[in-house]
Amino acid sequence: MRYQRVINESELLDGLSQPGSLIVCGGTDVIVKMRAGMLQPTLLLDVTQIESLHGIQVDEGHLEIGAATLESDIMHSPLVNQHAPLLALVLRQLGSVQIRNRGTLAGNIVNASPAADGAIPLLLYEAEVQVVGPAQEQWVRLESFFTGPGKTTLSSGEFVRALRMPIGTDGFRTFFHKVGKRNALTIAIASLGLLLNIEQGAIQEIRIAVGSVAPTPRRLRKIESQLTGRALDAALPLEARDLITGAIAPISDIRATAAYRRNVIGDLFARALRSHLTQPL
Amino acid sequence: MRIQCTVNGKSVERDISPDLRLLDFIRETLQLTGTKEGCGEGECGACTVLLDGKAVNSCLVLAMQADGSVIITVEGLADGQALHPIQEAYVEVGAVQCGFCTPGFIMATYALLQDTPDPSEEEILAGLEGNLCRCTGYSKILDAVKLAARRMRESR
Repeated sequence: MRYQRVINESELLDGLSQPGSLIVCGGTDVIVKMRAGMLQPTLLLDVTQIESLHGIQVDEGHLEIGAATLESDIMHSPLVNQHAPLLALVLRQLGSVQIRNRGTLAGNIVNASPAADGAIPLLLYEAEVQVVGPAQEQWVRLESFFTGPGKTTLSSGEFVRALRMPIGTDGFRTFFHKVGKRNALTIAIASLGLLLNIEQGAIQEIRIAVGSVAPTPRRLRKIESQLTGRALDAALPLEARDLITGAIAPISDIRATAAYRRNVIGDLFARALRSHLTQPL
Repeated sequence: MRIQCTVNGKSVERDISPDLRLLDFIRETLQLTGTKEGCGEGECGACTVLLDGKAVNSCLVLAMQADGSVIITVEGLADGQALHPIQEAYVEVGAVQCGFCTPGFIMATYALLQDTPDPSEEEILAGLEGNLCRCTGYSKILDAVKLAARRMRESR
């Protein structure tokens, strides 16, 4: 295996045109998978030093985060805490101090785990992924970027330059909870995130995202539309619990059974709505 | 490949294989065996070192990625024969049981106190979340961090 520290995007594209090449940045997933024999690159392209992949900014109504920006830098960014507070909150629970000091949010996304913590807030904030190839570059909606466990629409020869999400949810209420065996470094058994805009006791807007209960992290848009406009009264959490347990089809695996996952997502959803109730139960 | 970096204040230069991890470079190439390998997957924190001032799992970094960097390992904390106040506190309080996790905990503590000299209990727990002690001696470790933090503030 060869290792090359690429210093700009054209060097990166050149490297990616060679068979067996693979991008490494923080390495928190890639190095583990290489040692397990799951990845066997012949050319490793280290993108940590490419300046155009770094930085956090607000531009044309979007919060934009460079693909090589560290999770710890994103979590501490005043812009992120102002415009995407749920993202900062989730990052505080992602991995550990040591992982966040190496790992990147874009890497978390490209790794495409069904349990990816970082995907939940990004789905809720309607994030897009900037995919750059030799011939073209385009913004792809995160919802269509994931195609299956470990799979995305990224083709060989392409890389991710940045993530962006429209701002304009300031004041929305937030919720995120993941269930796992340990607080730090846990791979979620199930996770749920919400963005909620409540006015005069009614749900003006609700966005729901779940992890570890489908082949990819995903939004539950049908339930979102069913709950929009509804009064957030004492009866709603239980009704919502039934809606969400009927809408997901998790699998049983080494970490939990399907029935447990369905139950836990139902409970989390009911709990989340109860915590935002405007009337006492 | 040629790597040049600064380890515990000394410049080092070696020829290494590109698939060598920073952990192997530290332990095998430089023979600094204070840094431990536990899980090798970033879960346990036993291999924690400071890379350009940040706590990282050295098992998840390729040595070549550290080319040009400044690295501090547990061997770099003591001043000659005098232990660092963090090391002293761990010994004094009895925060060391089997000792395998201790270097990693000490490096995580070092990183925490560098950024947060007067941490709350919650901040200590968050700062050490990436480290596991299989002897489960966590209360003494918490005591040691608090003691070290107080002494380091007082000696300023």
